[in-house]
Amino acid sequence: MNDIRDEKIRRFSNYRIIEHWVLLITFIILVLTGLSQKFYYLAVSQWFILRIGGIDSLRYVHHYTALVFLSLVTVHVIVAVSGIVFKKWRPSMVITGKDFTDAADNIKYYIGMKDHPAACDRYNYKQKFEYWVVLMGAIVMIASGLVLWFPVFATQFLPGEIIPVAKVLHSNEALLIFLIIAIWHIYNAIFSPEVFPLDTSIFTGYISRERMISEHPLELERMEGTDTGERGADIGVDGIEAKS
Amino acid sequence: MTGFMKNKLILFCICLVSLFLCRDGHVDAKKAVISDETVICLQCHSKQGVVFRFHNGETLSVYVNTDEYRMSVHNFLGCPDCHRGFSVDKHPKRRFRSRKQYKLQASLICRRCHKNDEIASKPIHASLLAEEKKGRSPVCADCHGAHSVMPVTGGKIFISEKKYCMGCHEYELDLTFKNGEHLLLKTDASALARSVHNKLGCSDCHYGFSSEDHPERKFRSMRDYSIASSDTCKRCHFDKYTKTEEGVHCAELNKGNINAPVCTDCHGSHAITRIRDKRTLIVKRCRNCHREIYEIYSKSVHGSALLIDANQDVPVCIDCHKAHDIGNPLTLVYREQIPEMCANCHANRLVMDKYGLSTDVVKSYLSDFHGITLGFYKKQRRMLDKPGRQIAVCTDCHGTHNIVSTRGVDIKELKAKLVKRCRKCHENVTGNFPDAWLSHYEPGIRKAPLVFLVNLFYKIFIPLMIAGLVLQIVLHIWRYIINR
Repeated sequence: MNDIRDEKIRRFSNYRIIEHWVLLITFIILVLTGLSQKFYYLAVSQWFILRIGGIDSLRYVHHYTALVFLSLVTVHVIVAVSGIVFKKWRPSMVITGKDFTDAADNIKYYIGMKDHPAACDRYNYKQKFEYWVVLMGAIVMIASGLVLWFPVFATQFLPGEIIPVAKVLHSNEALLIFLIIAIWHIYNAIFSPEVFPLDTSIFTGYISRERMISEHPLELERMEGTDTGERGADIGVDGIEAKS
Repeated sequence: MTGFMKNKLILFCICLVSLFLCRDGHVDAKKAVISDETVICLQCHSKQGVVFRFHNGETLSVYVNTDEYRMSVHNFLGCPDCHRGFSVDKHPKRRFRSRKQYKLQASLICRRCHKNDEIASKPIHASLLAEEKKGRSPVCADCHGAHSVMPVTGGKIFISEKKYCMGCHEYELDLTFKNGEHLLLKTDASALARSVHNKLGCSDCHYGFSSEDHPERKFRSMRDYSIASSDTCKRCHFDKYTKTEEGVHCAELNKGNINAPVCTDCHGSHAITRIRDKRTLIVKRCRNCHREIYEIYSKSVHGSALLIDANQDVPVCIDCHKAHDIGNPLTLVYREQIPEMCANCHANRLVMDKYGLSTDVVKSYLSDFHGITLGFYKKQRRMLDKPGRQIAVCTDCHGTHNIVSTRGVDIKELKAKLVKRCRKCHENVTGNFPDAWLSHYEPGIRKAPLVFLVNLFYKIFIPLMIAGLVLQIVLHIWRYIINR
């Protein structure tokens, strides 16, 4: 057993590691500077805002961090789309019918109706769910955020009511994403018994063979199986190199 | 004894008695009888229109009011007693340079009987005598009148300082300033009695003056006098005085604008009343100087309610600007206080219910972008000493002195006006822009339905989503525990 725990398999390329770091930092800054505005009446928000140097400074930080976030998301989408289209990457994040059956199977396994969990591919349904929630959320946040940042420009094309709509969208979507990350992502990446104290794969780029076997058996099978064509596509997506 | 002799005797007796009484300060004016000689004089001098012409062209009416003379303390004296050289037979021609010279000469007549020692026993005269030594002779008749000399004291001992002062100041005394302006020193006792200060004595305000002392003050002008006099108020109303020192009026005065109002300009002097309850009066006082603003205010929803319907709920000048510590309304600090000022009434259910107005207007402002930002600017000023920028407050949309009701106004017209107001800060906004503000309404299915629905969606979706995720986590942990 020792060797499969020690054996590391490359899961994420350096680009993804950097991408996650940038996302992590911008996300924390945006959440702090954003939610303190949403819950402006709380003592802790007021303390924080005054600590930053006032509401204008806070908004300045929020706006320009959002620009970094906007760039990150834009680059991510361009890389993903062009990778899939031109480099024939495997669209491993695309939600398929299997994800729904996996979810159902997993629930059944949890409550004891099945004796093993769903066998997943590169990304399991939980990860896909989280990815799409964040990506879609990011698009909503960016669009509504830009409207709020440039209301005069926005109302040149759109009705005035778009401003309060953007405000409720931005505010509620922020809370939703924050809660999903704070509960779901933090559980899965930190507190889940399988990874506790921390799932380091996004920081180091490597995952143990043991976890690959239990969490991504289909991907491992494909990586080490006969179908080299598919595996090649995978390497293309995320620069995976099996470390043997 | 002839009738004539008899009359003379009676007159003599009366004179004797009068003189005796006079020494004791008791004069019963009404009982005196006018001498025949005086009657003859009065045949001409009781007619109006006879004038004496001075050398410099000035004239003086030689009319003598018989009734006043009859009532005067000198009614026991005949005309020649004062006007020496004149008698039934003789009417010498006199020449005087001017009216002033004549009056000074006439004063000497009084001094024949009223010797300096006697005069000096009254402090008010003591100062006049001191003036005389410097070459400025007093004119007795200026205060006492000529033929109508009245018992100043009535021969009584004064029961109060006020009565003592009023002994002179109920008459048309006159103060002349260096620039030639005149101030009537006559004080209306009844107004004084009705004033809030009716319990105060004269010297409580006019300090330095007393029954012993009557210092002479010299002022360049009436305005200088008013400014100096208002200084007396601070001796009791020090709190108001210190507040005033923070105000714009005091600042103006310190800058040298002598027309800036002082206490008495708004409160009056002897007739001070409690102005707080007379809201219309307050507005009128401010109008004295701020006429243009008054005209605008009087047409506003607040002003017209006050001035036409005598509505006591509407704000008057001092409700927003304060009475004493009037701040500069163009500063950011003042701006930041505006929502609070409006909230004083517009968040007060007791007042707003009367007019069917919503009390949520302040809340809806304070919880929107401008209001939240303003809230932080205020905190920043207080805690970081970092002033904010100019941000829209109530008055930027509603106006200040010209606030009108939005009831019954065409919505398109209203929006068109609002765009102009938005453009003050947000340049080049289109007609769509004002709709960004929900006009103090809470989003609902009728008002801003999209906002309402998006909010509703998240209100349902977020708890469901979180509950689902937490449930999965719990199941996951449960399974892990079972498997161990």
